[in-house]
Amino acid sequence: MKVKKLFAIVLSAAMVLSLAACGDSAANTSGGDAAATETAGDAAGDAAGDAAGDAAGDAAAATPGDKTQALSVCLASEPATLDPALNSSVDGATMCLHLFSGIAKWTQDDAGNLVIAPDCAVELPEGVVNEDGTVTYTYTLKDGLKWSDGQDVKASDFVFAWNRAASPALAADYSYMFEVVKGYAEMWEVKETGQVDENGEPVVEYVNPDAKLAVEAPDDKTLVVTTTTNVAYWNELLAFPSYFPVREDVVSNESWATDPSTYVGNGAYTMSAWDHNSLITLTKNENYVEADKVTMPQINFYLSDDANNMLTNFKNGDWQLIDDVPTNEIAALKTEYPDAFKVTGQLGTYYVSWNINEDILPADSGLEGAEAEAARAEIRNAISLLFDRNYICESVAQGGQVPASSFVAMGLTDTDGKEFYENAGHNDGFVGYYNVAPEALQGNFEAAVETLKKYYTYDEASQKFTNVPTLTYLYNTSEGHKAIAEYLQSALAGIGITMNLENQEWNTFLDTRKAGNFSIARNGWLGDYNDPISFLDMWTSASGNNDCQFGKGENQKTQAYSIDLTDLGYETKVENGTWAETYDVVISDIKSCTDPTVRYQLMHRAEDLLMSTGCICPLYYYTDLYMQDPELQGFFSSPLGYKYFMYCHY
Amino acid sequence: MNPKTLKYILKRVVLAIFTIWVVITLTFFIMHAVPGGPFVGEKAVTPQVQKAMEAKYGLDKPLFQQYLTYLTDVCRLRFGPSLKQRGRMVIDIIGDGLKTSAKLGVIAAAIATVLGVILGSFAALRRNTILDRIIMVITTAFVSMPSFIMGSLLLVAFAVRSHIFPANGSTPAGLVLPVITLMLYPMSYITRLTRSSMLDVLGQDYIRTAKAKGVSRTNIIFKHALKNALIPVITYLGPELAYITTGSLVVEQIFAVPGIGRAFVNSITNRDYTLIMGTTIVLATFIVIMNLVSDIMYKVVDPRINLE
Repeated sequence: MKVKKLFAIVLSAAMVLSLAACGDSAANTSGGDAAATETAGDAAGDAAGDAAGDAAGDAAAATPGDKTQALSVCLASEPATLDPALNSSVDGATMCLHLFSGIAKWTQDDAGNLVIAPDCAVELPEGVVNEDGTVTYTYTLKDGLKWSDGQDVKASDFVFAWNRAASPALAADYSYMFEVVKGYAEMWEVKETGQVDENGEPVVEYVNPDAKLAVEAPDDKTLVVTTTTNVAYWNELLAFPSYFPVREDVVSNESWATDPSTYVGNGAYTMSAWDHNSLITLTKNENYVEADKVTMPQINFYLSDDANNMLTNFKNGDWQLIDDVPTNEIAALKTEYPDAFKVTGQLGTYYVSWNINEDILPADSGLEGAEAEAARAEIRNAISLLFDRNYICESVAQGGQVPASSFVAMGLTDTDGKEFYENAGHNDGFVGYYNVAPEALQGNFEAAVETLKKYYTYDEASQKFTNVPTLTYLYNTSEGHKAIAEYLQSALAGIGITMNLENQEWNTFLDTRKAGNFSIARNGWLGDYNDPISFLDMWTSASGNNDCQFGKGENQKTQAYSIDLTDLGYETKVENGTWAETYDVVISDIKSCTDPTVRYQLMHRAEDLLMSTGCICPLYYYTDLYMQDPELQGFFSSPLGYKYFMYCHY
Repeated sequence: MNPKTLKYILKRVVLAIFTIWVVITLTFFIMHAVPGGPFVGEKAVTPQVQKAMEAKYGLDKPLFQQYLTYLTDVCRLRFGPSLKQRGRMVIDIIGDGLKTSAKLGVIAAAIATVLGVILGSFAALRRNTILDRIIMVITTAFVSMPSFIMGSLLLVAFAVRSHIFPANGSTPAGLVLPVITLMLYPMSYITRLTRSSMLDVLGQDYIRTAKAKGVSRTNIIFKHALKNALIPVITYLGPELAYITTGSLVVEQIFAVPGIGRAFVNSITNRDYTLIMGTTIVLATFIVIMNLVSDIMYKVVDPRINLE
């Protein structure tokens, strides 16, 4: 037995050797081909050597180390960019606000409330209203502001950065964040050249290629900017990453934001390493003007988008915060990790969008034009009442979501101190446009059935409608969206409405939905800033986010909408007008309104009109789910989903 | 070199270039025919921004003109900038990914080959014993199990339930599970290949002659049998590397390994046109070269084979 075992070991070792020997002899016997074989061998050897070297390098970079000195977190996979002007992702924004400091910033006051505070600026003074209605703000920069490479931060850096971020040349997703700044409209003004491209669309060119924003730096410490009107959320914009400064000589290198050696910021941290698709390391910036307040010396942003993977690392204790959890684990995590499992409000709404141009009336309804549209609106609103939003939140989504009764999400304050959504719908008995209380479910159901009976044939025996056209619900491929789609399907099937489910891959889905090639589609919206307009101006006729196709296609000519703003001091009063004559007008009135009370009233009117179409069927308000080490102190996040780690400590 | 062999190799290289051109052309037009685009997101950009971006990357030109421009660039080895990861060049992204993937692939291929040869030889020498049966049953199971199932099983067993290895493949310890997942199929294949070819060789006349001459068992196995039995294994090395590279597309996704496979999958989701083209070309070239090398290897290790 012993001999056999020994033989086995020797044999295995010998075989390995003979494999190598065999390669040699083959090379030798075939003469000229030896060179080729050797090269292949060398390449393999080199690769192995490199691999070993890399492994060693990775080991050094990835040492979890002491969590009090280096916090390890995972928000998402590799950000598309860390250029604050180009970034449009929430995780990218979180990293940018650790790397840059703008005129203003979000911070926590002593009571733990989120407030806007001056950052680079000494203070945030009120603007001066000019004769033409524009507003001019003058900011003084703090002393001792430095870039991470030691150079001084000058007011002219802001001038350069803002003009860059707003410009058509950069073509940033968030360039419209500057639309409130004077000069933006001129920058983007186009005229047709008279030529058409291969698709038959007119070729346009910019009228003012040299246009600049109305922002100036009279000296190194003073920044003067003029906005087109009194913008209610101006200070919030100043804290938005698009408004962070960048330096001209740094960004002249187009790939500056992809490598730590060329990445220069002015924030609480500097980027010390970026192992692409793996890890971004931020180290405290001693040049930062408030460096003494920054308590966490290092932050490791691990890059992964796999929720299971994140959870494993969190459970292992390797990562102290993860921004995503697997949906099917939520119920278990809530009980297993009650102190670590966190649910906070997030400025967003999950909803179902109808294509307004989809005809859902029975063929023999005989209705046309505005009457048909009114009937469709009534039907859509009735169908919206059939869904049990409490069930969706508690049993399907399971992430602490809040049943939604309006489109504008919770988390936005109205002028009377209450939440905007609490004042929506103007009903006495309940909040919002319909009652989402569990006890109202039966009443909602009956009301919906009564309404639908007006248009469709109802078979009393089976308690089902018999002639509702078959609907199709489109969603992007994902387990979570599928579960909700299946619930909606079953709720409609209960009264005889057939709704087929169709799923598409993400990018295809976006394209289909944007083009209006759907009847009903899953939808969701996250606000860009703490103002209801962020949820409302997306529904204007010309907006690229107008998935419901309001004022587009057939609906463009439909005169079915009414609005009366005379009680708010406006001349606007339209009965049976088009979407452009009504909704677009309210939105432009809101944008030029300077009285906050009136402005908020106008925004409620806009939402009233929007919800009356029934094209938007809100299901729940989003929540931000994350797991956080319960011992971690000083962490906070904003309703926009941004996370702040600089003041973390143990 | 034999002129016949040279002519054959030349022919194969020309064919390889043609193959890659076909791959480029098909990918280019199919990619543009798929709905969606690189600048589409949950939040739509304004039409002007969309136009400005398209102009910046030349996507506003007629498709055929874009194709010609791209072909010219590729011939000069210019893969252009990524459309989604602003500021990064496709060649850098591929380089980063390849480094990780090569690490995975080389380790997996080496282990698979060594273990496969050892197990296969054992099975052949112990033919019809219980050891042979066990090896055959296990390798049959591994050969028929797709890598995404194997990967998920390993992930659940060793990372989620028992925490022996990290689930994230971006650290050295995290590479263990992906390497195992990747090597099981080729290892099993090589085991079976070695076993059958070893059995074949052991039944040959020259082995009987050697035995009759009184050559020791060890000498017969190592000097006479194994050397010839390994010919099919060596020729399998090319396809093996190609399998591991393409197989890693799925495995990298499961274990979140930042390799070229993941870059490829993500580039398709993002409609990052330049990156899709870049990764496709690199992967296609690699597979074509591997096949070419393995065909030439046949000739090199076994002069009896006629390449024509």
